Amino acid sequence: MIRKRAPRELQIVGLIGSLAFAFPGLYLIWRNFTTGADPLGLLLAGNTLEPLWRTIRLAFLVSLSAAILGTALAWCTTRTDLPFARLWRVILPIPLVFPTFIGAAAFIRTLNPGGLANDAFKSLGLNETPELRGLVGAWLVLTLFCYPYVYLPVAARLRQLPGSLEQSALILGDNPLQTFRRVVLRQIATSISAGTLLVFLYTISDFGAVQLMRYDTLTRAIESNYLARPPMAFALSLILLILAGAVVLVERSMTRRLPEVNTHRTSLPMLYRLGKWKHLASLFVAATFALAVAAPSAALLDWAADGLIRDQRGGNSLTINVDKVVEAATNTVSSSALAAVFALLAVTPIAFLVGRYRDRTGRIAHSVVIATFALPGILIALSLRFWTLKSGFFGDLLYDSMALLIFAYVVRFGSLAMGTALVAVRSVPGALHDAAATLGANKWKQLRTVDLPVMRPGLLAAAGLVLLSTMKELPISLIISPLGFPTLTTRIFGSFEDAFVAEAGIMAVTLVCVSALLSWFLVLRRADHL
Amino acid sequence: MTVIAASCGGSDQLEIDGLAAEINPAECVEGQGEEVTIYSGRTENLIEPVLEAFACATGISVQVRWGSSTQLALLIDEEGSRSPADVFLSRSPGPVGFLESKGLLGTIDQSVLDLVGEDSRSDQGSWIGFSGRKRVLVHNVDLVPEAELPSSVFDLTDEKWRGKVAIPGTNGSFVDWFTVFRDQYGTDVATQWLNDMVANDARYYPNNRSIVDATGRGEIEMGLVNHYYNYQEVAASGDSHRALNHDLDDSDIGSLLIITAATVLESADNSSEANQLLAYLLSESVQSYFTNRTFEYPLAAGVEANDTLPPLKALEIGSVDFDALGGGFEETARIIEASGIQNQ
Repeated sequence: MIRKRAPRELQIVGLIGSLAFAFPGLYLIWRNFTTGADPLGLLLAGNTLEPLWRTIRLAFLVSLSAAILGTALAWCTTRTDLPFARLWRVILPIPLVFPTFIGAAAFIRTLNPGGLANDAFKSLGLNETPELRGLVGAWLVLTLFCYPYVYLPVAARLRQLPGSLEQSALILGDNPLQTFRRVVLRQIATSISAGTLLVFLYTISDFGAVQLMRYDTLTRAIESNYLARPPMAFALSLILLILAGAVVLVERSMTRRLPEVNTHRTSLPMLYRLGKWKHLASLFVAATFALAVAAPSAALLDWAADGLIRDQRGGNSLTINVDKVVEAATNTVSSSALAAVFALLAVTPIAFLVGRYRDRTGRIAHSVVIATFALPGILIALSLRFWTLKSGFFGDLLYDSMALLIFAYVVRFGSLAMGTALVAVRSVPGALHDAAATLGANKWKQLRTVDLPVMRPGLLAAAGLVLLSTMKELPISLIISPLGFPTLTTRIFGSFEDAFVAEAGIMAVTLVCVSALLSWFLVLRRADHL
Repeated sequence: MTVIAASCGGSDQLEIDGLAAEINPAECVEGQGEEVTIYSGRTENLIEPVLEAFACATGISVQVRWGSSTQLALLIDEEGSRSPADVFLSRSPGPVGFLESKGLLGTIDQSVLDLVGEDSRSDQGSWIGFSGRKRVLVHNVDLVPEAELPSSVFDLTDEKWRGKVAIPGTNGSFVDWFTVFRDQYGTDVATQWLNDMVANDARYYPNNRSIVDATGRGEIEMGLVNHYYNYQEVAASGDSHRALNHDLDDSDIGSLLIITAATVLESADNSSEANQLLAYLLSESVQSYFTNRTFEYPLAAGVEANDTLPPLKALEIGSVDFDALGGGFEETARIIEASGIQNQ
């Protein structure tokens, strides 16, 4: 492929994009270095090494297991004759939508000693389920909630690969395992790597799951320090940002060594017959579903049911009604859908800069976008409030507006679309462009007729990641949302905090159902394209 | 944020129903264009009907941002004098202390302050309590016989309770409680107690709710929490929830009453409406509503607590120097961090 200089317009768009995404990082730096605080002194004086080490260890373990689980699930559901594959494709992304503060609590309530699973297993002679906590508990629950970061982009990529290469390998005598390692894995490596990076960054920024599993990481220390010692909280957050930057750089240098495979589907993807493995594969997918979706949902349904039958027992009536659930659900869907669309619009130009033109502005923008994912949402919310206050008239205009909320969501979750969009851009073969240009297509026509059709599955997966993640977003929804804009997650949070568990359960079950519907819609749309 | 408008465009009369109508059964008053903006750390499930009733009764339109008390306090700090908030409602004293230390709290009208006892308000008039939560020892009824239950938090360092007590070490209300503990008994005694608890294998849980849940399941024998979570669990699940509250001695620090506080911000544009709202929160109908809905203790003079609640003779947080909480916070956080409870 001939390297061309990036068009000036694209560079400007990329530059603006990276500036927008840099707001939270700049705010953090401003907070650390302008108020007379001494972040280095604070960090050296405090006990930061241990939580930092725990954070890194957890993030590595979760990344590893989520990468394997996500890839295996993607392969089983897209490339084999697994029974009910389409149904699984609808269900498997759902864990992405559990806000961890209630998802992990529900998981514990089902699986820990005395929980719902315990009651169910008693009749089978199993008396005590083990207590999930600490490193093992946090690792398990985060792996189960994070594998979709890998599953979605890898599944999209797998459905796009031509079967011809694999067929050739098989004809030339490779067994299916060798074919997977030598042919398939090399083609999906960049997708796995991009997804795993997100898992790593999410894990270091998570607070809900680690606190409920009682595994003391940096985010717990940050959370405890916000009011007591704000400079310490900001200094600790700076470590997260530096860690994120380092990981992004490492990932980039690793993927640079990977072979670049510009393949797209010229023949149908290979479909493998599972044969005698069919039951084992079904068991594997079903077990993942049971732990990642059914277990937390069971506790949520239990809470919700308590509320629905409480009237008959003469307890307090519910404080919500159907209208409130519908209002929150509508707000959730509309804001998440907008966030997904705008996130795609924001990161695709950057993906083009990096993927097609190897432009330096693009590479910087790419790193900034992705590293921002490691920052706790509350910092992004506060930073946007800070910048709108500092920017006078323009800020007043934006305050309390839907636009600012969507902007904040895009800054928070644009990273999710970034890696997948980049893989999508790279999967467009240069030869197709040359052919199109020879046939007289201009840039826009090439984009419409060549790029977008090839990139479509990747872009849809990227949008899906942003959509489902935005649906569960909490701090930005609380702090930045405009007047009269409750979302399902804000209602779940408020209810849960003040022990209105029935209301929290009902809203959370609604969240899961709505996300299943949206995921079904996304999967169907992709299937239509087959 | 939610807007509860008293009147939309002049002729439309606000109508309320459900819980709000129970709080204010009277006809709604027409608005004169007054408004008030609230940042509420208490959930809308609880507060929204009250605000609707308030809008109806006074004609003042209400705007609310719901959130976590800590995050809203951080937001107010970030917004400073430009904060749109007039009133801040906090789930616990900590965030109020934080805002006070930043000089962001205004002074509440004396007539409003007088609605509660001196113990439940700030000497400087910067905050006022509107409901109370008592610290208790929640325990699993199948694992701990009632006769053996201790009468003081100091008993919990006994070998007998090794590995059996849950502590929400980093949770806001525990941090507040520990700060008062230091204030009452001196930092040395309080720190020693916490270190002894850690040495006695006290188990760390992140918050009250997770302890009540774990105690109900029998994962842990007992835990130090605010009283009302268990009432809510029992109200939701009945007898299948296997945990009950145990009150420690009335004079014990483990029986402290911790208040949820209302404040008017220094930067408030609508401080008259804000004071009216605070007075409304302390009106008899609203105080009764709180105690019957969430099983919290009412603080306004003359209002009876829900009849399932044990009579309140406990220490009240206001009887100690609550205003020192803000400043004492940093040191408390350091002591708790150093005790290592979060890794138990």
